[in-house]
Amino acid sequence: MAYIDYYKILGIDKSASQDDIKKAFKKLARKYHPDLNPDDPNAKQRFQEINEANEVLGDPEKRKKYDQYGENWKHADEFEAQKQRYQQQGGFEGGTHWSSEGGFSGMGGDGEFSDFFESLFGSRRGRGRSAVFRGQDYNAELHLSFRDAAQTHKQVLSVNGKNIRITVPAGVADGQTIKLKGQGGPGVNGGPAGDLYITFVIAEDPVFKRLGNDLYVTTSLNLYTAVLGGEQVIDTMSGKVKLKVKPGTQNGAKVRLKGKGFPVYKEEGKFGDLIVTYSVEVPTHLTEKQKELFQELQKLS
Amino acid sequence: METELIIVREYCQKSHVDPSFIVSLEEDGLIDIQVVDGERYLLVSQMQDLERFVRWHEDLAVNIEGIGVIHELMGRMHEMQQEINQLRREVRLLRTDYLEEIL
Repeated sequence: MAYIDYYKILGIDKSASQDDIKKAFKKLARKYHPDLNPDDPNAKQRFQEINEANEVLGDPEKRKKYDQYGENWKHADEFEAQKQRYQQQGGFEGGTHWSSEGGFSGMGGDGEFSDFFESLFGSRRGRGRSAVFRGQDYNAELHLSFRDAAQTHKQVLSVNGKNIRITVPAGVADGQTIKLKGQGGPGVNGGPAGDLYITFVIAEDPVFKRLGNDLYVTTSLNLYTAVLGGEQVIDTMSGKVKLKVKPGTQNGAKVRLKGKGFPVYKEEGKFGDLIVTYSVEVPTHLTEKQKELFQELQKLS
Repeated sequence: METELIIVREYCQKSHVDPSFIVSLEEDGLIDIQVVDGERYLLVSQMQDLERFVRWHEDLAVNIEGIGVIHELMGRMHEMQQEINQLRREVRLLRTDYLEEIL
């Protein structure tokens, strides 16, 4: 068990007044409240640390005791003896530390304090917190390949040792979150279970770029086809397609292929478009003969 | 099937929440109360919000009016965050196109 520097947690000096402590606590509590930092998995732990620091330093009696221990902290033997005494008095319950919950966020834990706190002050409970009723919400990420996201398919997720079967509809977006009601932590005292939030993380594709339901692909076009017109084979999600190229196609010209894009989420049979950008290849390393012919063309135009 | 309604009295008792706090939240339109046969119920679908309001009140000493404002702003922040994420993805897409062109 490590010594916890409560002054450092609140960012104050050892000589800080009770008013300074209150001010520092309120400021940090606002800043790190887990509800106001839903995307920061460390906020909950930070908030608990801040609360614990305030519980000690905000109470002049506890602060005094803590200061005394702090001075003697390096005498580990002495501390161990103190701890023994606490255990004999039944004040030391052992058990959990501050725990970060490995990917799952949300409030829980009911204001539990650290073992360090407990070894000094016995009880680990905070003041006046309401009891937990509704179960904890869980957050999980589901990584999908680009191709998997384009197809409705079943997946088995393992969340807290429980296997959950879900159907992933075609067309889910990167960063999209779905809620599975009641699949979070169990409720307490007959309260309802929490929910499970699944965020999809979709890998990028080396060929297609996706914007909403539309896909973008760049294809090279040789100079002669661009100038004279012809045919060009391009990749789509459903295989190769032959496109007619108009004579005089410019570099960067775009063609829209209706319905060849990504499936639309929860609208079966509906697809976005595929936008093909032509990148005209200008020949390099010309032979003498080719160079002459280009020069002839140049003179003609 | 889990129950969709929770008796206000029971919730307050089990969670140590002052019933007047629930009344105030309802009066300010922050949560809904359903009355069935004279019994007042909370909606399970609003429990997440309710518990968040309770935490703001207890952890940060925010009053009902403040809870309303924070709730509103958090909603807007969430929408903005979604929009930023979407724009980031689009910018990333455009940027790689651009880089391919100049390389």
